[in-house]
Amino acid sequence: MKKKITALVLSGVLCAGLLSGCGGDSGQGGGRSGEGTGQAGGEASAGANTGGVDLSNIFSGELEQNVTIRVLENDTAIEQGYFRELIDAFNAKYADYGIVAVDANMDQYSNLADDGPYGYGPDVLYQANDVLMKYVEGKHIYPVPAESLECFSQIPENAWNAYKATVNGVQYYMGVPVNVQSSMLYYRKDLLPEDWETTWDKNGNQVPDMVENWNDMYRYSREIVAKNDGHYGYMRSLYDVYFSSGFLFSYGGYVFGDNNTNADDLGFSAGNAEIGANVLLQQAALMNEGCIDDSITVSAYSKLADGTYFATMTTPDVYTLFLKELRLAYQAQGMSEEEAGALAKENLVITEIPKLPASGDLTEENPELIPLKAMGGVNGYAISAYTKSPNACLAFVEFAAGYEMMLRRNEMLGIVPARSDVADAVGGVSEIMYHNLDAGNIVVMPSIRAVEQIWTPGQTFFEDLAKDAFRPEAEKKYKTLDDIKNGLASVDVQIYDAVHTLAGTN
Amino acid sequence: MKASKVADTCVTYIILLAVCFIFFFPCLWLILASFSKSGSIYSFEGFFPSAYSLDTFKTLFTDTAMYNYPRWFRNTLFIAVMSCLVGTFLTILTAYTMSRFQFKARKTMMKTTLLLGMFPSFMGMIAVYIIMTQFGLINNMWGLILIYSANAPMGYLTQKGFFDTIPSSIDEAARIDGATNFQVFTRINLPISMPIIVYTTLTSFTFPWSDFILPKLLLKEKDLYTVAVGLMSLGDTEFARFAAGAVFIAVPIVILYFCLVKFMVNGMTAGAVKG
Amino acid sequence: MCLMGLGQLMYGQVGKGLLYLAVLALGIAYFIFRGGADLAGLFTLGTREADTWLGIEGDNSVVMLLMGILAVIALLLLAAVHVSNVRDARETQKLLERGGRPATFQEDAKQLLDRKFYKTVLFLPILGVCVFNILPIVFMIAIAFTNYGGSIVPPKLVDWVGLDNFVQITTLSQFAPTFGRILGWNLLWAVCSTALNYFAGLGLALLLNKDCVKGKVFWRSFPILAYAVPGFITLLGFKFMFSYGGPINQLITAAGHRAIGFLDIDAKWIARLIGLGVNAWVSIPSIMLLATGILSNRDMTLLEAAKIDGATPWQQFRRITLPFVLFSTTPVLLGQFIGNFNNFGVFYFLRGGLYIDGYFLASDTDLLINWLYNLSISNNYYNIGAAISLVIFLITSLISLVIYTRSASYKEEDTFR
Repeated sequence: MKKKITALVLSGVLCAGLLSGCGGDSGQGGGRSGEGTGQAGGEASAGANTGGVDLSNIFSGELEQNVTIRVLENDTAIEQGYFRELIDAFNAKYADYGIVAVDANMDQYSNLADDGPYGYGPDVLYQANDVLMKYVEGKHIYPVPAESLECFSQIPENAWNAYKATVNGVQYYMGVPVNVQSSMLYYRKDLLPEDWETTWDKNGNQVPDMVENWNDMYRYSREIVAKNDGHYGYMRSLYDVYFSSGFLFSYGGYVFGDNNTNADDLGFSAGNAEIGANVLLQQAALMNEGCIDDSITVSAYSKLADGTYFATMTTPDVYTLFLKELRLAYQAQGMSEEEAGALAKENLVITEIPKLPASGDLTEENPELIPLKAMGGVNGYAISAYTKSPNACLAFVEFAAGYEMMLRRNEMLGIVPARSDVADAVGGVSEIMYHNLDAGNIVVMPSIRAVEQIWTPGQTFFEDLAKDAFRPEAEKKYKTLDDIKNGLASVDVQIYDAVHTLAGTN
Repeated sequence: MKASKVADTCVTYIILLAVCFIFFFPCLWLILASFSKSGSIYSFEGFFPSAYSLDTFKTLFTDTAMYNYPRWFRNTLFIAVMSCLVGTFLTILTAYTMSRFQFKARKTMMKTTLLLGMFPSFMGMIAVYIIMTQFGLINNMWGLILIYSANAPMGYLTQKGFFDTIPSSIDEAARIDGATNFQVFTRINLPISMPIIVYTTLTSFTFPWSDFILPKLLLKEKDLYTVAVGLMSLGDTEFARFAAGAVFIAVPIVILYFCLVKFMVNGMTAGAVKG
Repeated sequence: MCLMGLGQLMYGQVGKGLLYLAVLALGIAYFIFRGGADLAGLFTLGTREADTWLGIEGDNSVVMLLMGILAVIALLLLAAVHVSNVRDARETQKLLERGGRPATFQEDAKQLLDRKFYKTVLFLPILGVCVFNILPIVFMIAIAFTNYGGSIVPPKLVDWVGLDNFVQITTLSQFAPTFGRILGWNLLWAVCSTALNYFAGLGLALLLNKDCVKGKVFWRSFPILAYAVPGFITLLGFKFMFSYGGPINQLITAAGHRAIGFLDIDAKWIARLIGLGVNAWVSIPSIMLLATGILSNRDMTLLEAAKIDGATPWQQFRRITLPFVLFSTTPVLLGQFIGNFNNFGVFYFLRGGLYIDGYFLASDTDLLINWLYNLSISNNYYNIGAAISLVIFLITSLISLVIYTRSASYKEEDTFR
């Protein structure tokens, strides 16, 4: 038994990616990258400055011959067959040089800081920006000569910013953005009221109002819930900081100061963030208790499929999962696989997240609308500093970030490309999200190490907030906006404590 | 007298039924979930799925492109069997020695082992990882077997407690007949000790079998994954597959139990050797 | 006498002498090629920082620390062999003085299977435990005196900082109230769950041992089934079962009641009780298994004698069975206590990710070890983590050592022989 217990202890350890390394930026590092982003507004000068590392020493431009490069891709890309196609195309192109790209065959979340120094890491990695940027301080990844890449001008500055780092006063690009990840609204078209075109389309733009703004979504959800037959309108687990924090950001809240680089300045309670939290509280009242824990998150796939929920909010990369569940549900009703698939594709809509009322009052009619600033991330490729063949790796990254492969990636995986030409070519969700990123409506996850500390305090607060909607009147904790503001302020204190309390000796 | 006996039997069975229900129900839930047709646990009404099929098990064993369950299973089996053999052997020998021999460092060693077991072993994992990188045993199943076997004797105090209850008069008789200590151990004590050996075998098989941490730490290549690591890597909506994998992972332990159980209770026929 | 094995060779014990000599040669070779540098590295912890961008292959402080400790252990072992060598030579000398004949190599080897059987047997386990158990622990203790953690992880160079980490823990004002609250709950938890698991496991074993129970193998297989499912799967399963969307709440809402937050933010005592129950579910089968094995070794004649004397079943249990089982399972009981005291998994899986008001970065179900995890590991402050673990270790080890050395199982090992 003892052993089993120990095992569990350790599993926790692992979850946190405990092993040596895990570098990331320290508090100081945060300060330094602060300068970096300051500069980022101006000219980004990657490379051979005085005091910096001359990138041509690393990337001589001369391709290594007869080498194998191990590429870490994400599971969906492998599962859907995209990765196979990618490496086959690459290997065919570089067959003359004898360069072969293979699957690193490792966990998609594996930590380069643990594996790399001992020689077990991949040569090229595809991970999220906050993960990749953790490798910078320990110099576990190489800077990339981004400006000389074909994709440079096609990728928006906001995406590149997520990959900028300043080391010893010189700014570098640490990876190549590939895919933008943020929140989208999923809903069932066939669950709209039949006469929505006349009753739910005040602006006459052929888009139902309830998926355009949260006030109409609220009104529609209330109508559904009022029928009291176990069906719901918009549903979403609220505890999740990734999805809920966007409501705070929209009213002036932020995570860290100085564009998410200053871990001394916490901003969950900044501006009128409490108004955003109050929006969540109003939404929670029209959901069930599942919004308190992760129940809705995990059940949304099947509940959207069986019609229990009308809409939910999540990232675009799980589109195929929703589609599959809906298809299965239709098949269970007796349709053929083909028929069900087609119908599912038609009825499951993924679209931009609705707009918020500036007042924060979901019951207001004809409110002034503001965009919802959602938290997001940028996944991309980086090159391990432990690779023996950096030039071949660079060739691979450039190849994978090229127009054709990105287009293919979008087709096969439904991801949102970071390239403007691809986004424009495919249109739809990709285009929307691309422009949201460009317009600054996607708050890219901070790349400093302190970001690890925001989740638990944030999660506790949102859970408490959601729970409040179900507490008896006398026990309610968040009765006024001031109560909410105080709650958010204590989140800031907790995060500050978590980040700084133990940093003393270092 | 007779009535009270009947009542006693009834009460015993009622308690047994209750206990079995408590232990069996969550397992049954898991088992039935693994046979669920839809694959998603949220289509259940109450505890159990509304429709059943064998599909999940079929995909578990045939759809191996991404999640190669048969391979994980083979890896785990290899690691668990080897560590179980070596670990049980070392543990029993250690426990026996500590119970039967009198030597100077003995009491110190007993106290030390107790203390060593008490360390919150969080941090030790960093050390284990680095040791294995230095030995070049990352991505190598033998590295895991080595660690499991080496750590197994740490739990010897339990087995020693058992050996302490075996009368030493038997040993002495044998020694008078000219048996060496080695012979006393293999010919006399070992057969009596079947229950504790079975217990040790089961535990030292189960631990590597269901361990998650060490394989995760030391086996980086997907081809080397064990079942526990593999199951944890399953995607969000793969609940039925997860349940199926979790059910199947229990099968070898149950089989092992049924093979060993007869040694467990009649290791020492009541009172026969005593006296 | 300075050259190991020389004495033995002089007395004509060629085999043994050569063995000692070989050990010495191996030791010296190790220290020349690797150990010496490792030993020096233990003090410096590296002088050259790695920089992959410039192609500088620097020192890895953590590896150096570990290999340094290994070198110290090797040095100690070599010293121990040397002492045994001197002692052996001296004994042989005495033997000769008394007119005896030095033992031949074969005789010595034979001894290792007989009188010194324990040396043969314990060699491998001790070696294994040294490398995979003691070395990591020493490493961890050493970490408590360095600044390893936060932003100082390889390739950055780690340094010795003396007692700084301990000073920091004791001077943090937020620590004391939370520490007190968590320690209180932790002790309560450890006592309750140990008692529950132990007596329920023992009771189950006794119940299944009763003569009136038919089909013991069958009945016993239910707890075994529970035992066969890996712990983390069990915990995840229970977490789901008690969640808002889980089957229990589905039944409750289907019956027209409000869903119950078994594990949510307000569920302090309900969550604690569920933790207790789930932990019992996980732990009882293995205790039952063990108790069954031990019970089969009971002296039935005593019980029968007691029966004839008219003892009630309860008296039989109190006076005969319990002392016997308690005697042979004291180490298990202690192990259970420690295991439960440091039980990270239950509340990490069931109710992780919460910081409750009034606790400094912890929730009201967290045990000390969970708190330690929040404070140090998820922050990467290994040094602080190691320092706190050391403090917790000192407390728990003191308690259990006192209990153990006073127990019958330790003091009167041959009570039941």
